[in-house]
Amino acid sequence: MLRKELVAAAAEPLILSLLARGESYGYAIIQDVKARSGGKMNWTDGMLYPVLHRMERRGLIKARWGESETGRKRKYYSLKKEGKAAMEKHHEHWTLVHDVLSGLRKEHYV
Amino acid sequence: MFDLEKTITEWRRQMLAAGIRPPALVEELEGHLREEIEQLIKTGMDASLAFEIATGHIGQPRLLKHEFKKIERNSMKRVIIIALGVFASLTGPALILPALAKHKNMGIWSYDIAWLIILGAIIALAGMGMVILGFKKQKA
Repeated sequence: MLRKELVAAAAEPLILSLLARGESYGYAIIQDVKARSGGKMNWTDGMLYPVLHRMERRGLIKARWGESETGRKRKYYSLKKEGKAAMEKHHEHWTLVHDVLSGLRKEHYV
Repeated sequence: MFDLEKTITEWRRQMLAAGIRPPALVEELEGHLREEIEQLIKTGMDASLAFEIATGHIGQPRLLKHEFKKIERNSMKRVIIIALGVFASLTGPALILPALAKHKNMGIWSYDIAWLIILGAIIALAGMGMVILGFKKQKA
């Protein structure tokens, strides 16, 4: 299981990257992250919503009310142009962290 | 006998009572809760246990409220910074312009005139800085 600080730091880039594939909603976002991480990344479900709302206020994503397959009201989120730019920045930063860590790890085994 | 609808209504009431606002947010959380309950019931779990697990995943209303309050506080701070910045940006010229008019009338530079112009310029620049900071805060 990943440390909660790391999960929290990864929330925004993960949400942006998932929304880059198309609009989605809270429950689906959580299930997607759980599945992709093999269950190792677990948010407290309710805590996703403050993150989504903060990102919406910052103009990175937009929301609309729609309907689920069963006719229930559901709030869908999608990426805005500003969100795409923020996602690119996140990818750049996380790739840098990954590269530095990989480099150090290789040195360790040389 | 466990009544799922009644229990969800009570849960919604508790969320509102805990100060989770606006009601549309509670509605969004309720949608999430219902989806999770439905999925758990599909696996063969009984409704009562499914409700317990799903509400556990959503989290305590107190903690949720705390997280949403943080967003409101940050927005309020930004609005205050921008409003103060705009006020200062207008106050600066309000000092500079009369000082320049006084200089034009008197035809000389006095210590008072120079002081008012410098002070006005500092206030106006600080105001503009605050406005920029306020908008940057939104992006951060």
